[in-house]
Amino acid sequence: MKIVLGLSMAGGEMNNQRKSLWRFTLLIVISALFMLPLVLMLLASLKPAEQLTGDPYSLLPERVVWSNYQQALEVVPYLKYLANSIVLCLGSVLGTVVSCSLVAYGFARLRWRGRKAMFAVLIATMLLPWHVTMIPRFVLFSELGLYNQLAAIILPTFLGDAFYIFMLRQFFLSIPEELSEAARLDGLSEFGIYWRIIVPLSKPALVTVAMFQLVVSWNDFSSPLLYLSDQEKFPLAYGLEQFVSSYSDQTHLLMAASVMFTLPMVFLFFVAQKSFTRGITMTGSK
Amino acid sequence: MSAVTQRRRRLSGWLFVSPWLLGLIVLFVYPFIASFLWSFTEYDLLTSPRYVGADHYQRIAQEIASGEGFGKALVNTVYFAAVSVPMSIIMAISLAVMLNWKVRGQAIFRTLFYLPSMVPIVASSILWLWLLDPRDGMVNGVIGFFYEVPPLWFQGIQEAISLDTPLQFGSKDGLVMMSLWGVGNFMLIYLAAIGDIEPSLYHAAELDGAGVWQKFRHITLPMLSPIIFFNLILGIIQSVQAFTQVYIVSEGTGQPAEASLMISLQLFLSAFRDLEMGYASAVAWVLFALLGLATWGLFRTSKNWVHYRGVRM
Repeated sequence: MKIVLGLSMAGGEMNNQRKSLWRFTLLIVISALFMLPLVLMLLASLKPAEQLTGDPYSLLPERVVWSNYQQALEVVPYLKYLANSIVLCLGSVLGTVVSCSLVAYGFARLRWRGRKAMFAVLIATMLLPWHVTMIPRFVLFSELGLYNQLAAIILPTFLGDAFYIFMLRQFFLSIPEELSEAARLDGLSEFGIYWRIIVPLSKPALVTVAMFQLVVSWNDFSSPLLYLSDQEKFPLAYGLEQFVSSYSDQTHLLMAASVMFTLPMVFLFFVAQKSFTRGITMTGSK
Repeated sequence: MSAVTQRRRRLSGWLFVSPWLLGLIVLFVYPFIASFLWSFTEYDLLTSPRYVGADHYQRIAQEIASGEGFGKALVNTVYFAAVSVPMSIIMAISLAVMLNWKVRGQAIFRTLFYLPSMVPIVASSILWLWLLDPRDGMVNGVIGFFYEVPPLWFQGIQEAISLDTPLQFGSKDGLVMMSLWGVGNFMLIYLAAIGDIEPSLYHAAELDGAGVWQKFRHITLPMLSPIIFFNLILGIIQSVQAFTQVYIVSEGTGQPAEASLMISLQLFLSAFRDLEMGYASAVAWVLFALLGLATWGLFRTSKNWVHYRGVRM
């Protein structure tokens, strides 16, 4: 009996080993497929221009042309767009974190008449497609003199965003009410409680919101398309597209610029992987 | 608690939400009303709106019937959503199941599968525009062997759905490829949900002699069904709202022959190229109504297949 059992276990182990080897191989193949477009982008950014037109299917650069990057910096003009992107990102992240955390505090930690109804309205705004509000917003912002201003894109972030408010509210709700009660007894104002207790305890959630908004602002193409007309003010996402239409045959520069535009996001992901995955999985569990 | 502090707390509630309240009025309520009213007017931004009744809605109805303008955009959008949403769901679940396998390097595989989702949409559009170039693109360089006339991708109007042999791929199929590449967000959500499934469920099924497929079909899938439902609704909304990638691969025109003219782009062009704000507002409201209808319909069917905590709702 013992022997039979031992044998069958050994057989099972073999089977398991073969299974995990097979699985491992499959994962390698799929990872390679997923990474291939990025690798090709990187390789193309280092190829000489004539190789991309003359021998488009070759994989490796005949010689590595680092100067593609230097050239892209000048032709795009990358650094000017980068500065605008940074202004947009910093302004929007600041606006989002400040406004959404304040509003979420109001919804999660304070009792006031009309709170439930207002919260329902907040959720309802998430269901409204942007198409409906786009044109009047554009007219309104133009009349306020915001056309062709980065402020047209940054200012709305100071008025909160339903999705982030919802996320932060969920997080604030999980902080014990006793902490607030004790602080109130000590004479702390509501803003004091928000600032000294809730905000420090909510750092991970706030970082997640900040990261999300950073990615959104960095990637945002439609707002600059709508509001900006002066090339001096273009952020990278929009400037890069402008470059596509005028230099579509300069694949080597296009790819070098795209690599430089993508790398900060990849870097950000590696630095803040935890906050990203936490935030994304939180979205699914609502 | 004294009456004064209570009143102060109540007041501070409104005070804390006041930024959003201002946003609600300026960014939602006013635009909501204005766009509804404008949809009954002729409005070109330069002269003030002129009432034209339901003309624009009539025009939209005609366009749906004739398959031009909005009708064309609607068909394209439905095609894109109908192909990309189910494929993304299947792909995200399959990848999540694989990433849940206990193998060496699991964390690295998770990162690699997710990484394309961090690529900005502008960059991935530029990248795929080049990869799917009909003449010089790497993709055709690989599959070109099988074709006398290789697929035209973003320059083509023949779509895979026509099932020609050999299979042709057009602009919308290119957009589907792009969306499949960036499926990482939902993959992570499924991955977290699979991790939450009680192992005892699988052990019980194994004792009953269930195989891999049966366990997936009768445990994993039902347990994931609330997320599949969420993914379905969000996927439809997202594909209807898809704009940036559509704009870039068609150079802001919906070309070739309007094959990639999706509703979002058609609305944008009507408003900001043709300055037909009234018509564009009407399109927005029709879109809003159609999305609402689709969501409502899905919620109704969800009772039959979505399980919450294993209980069918």
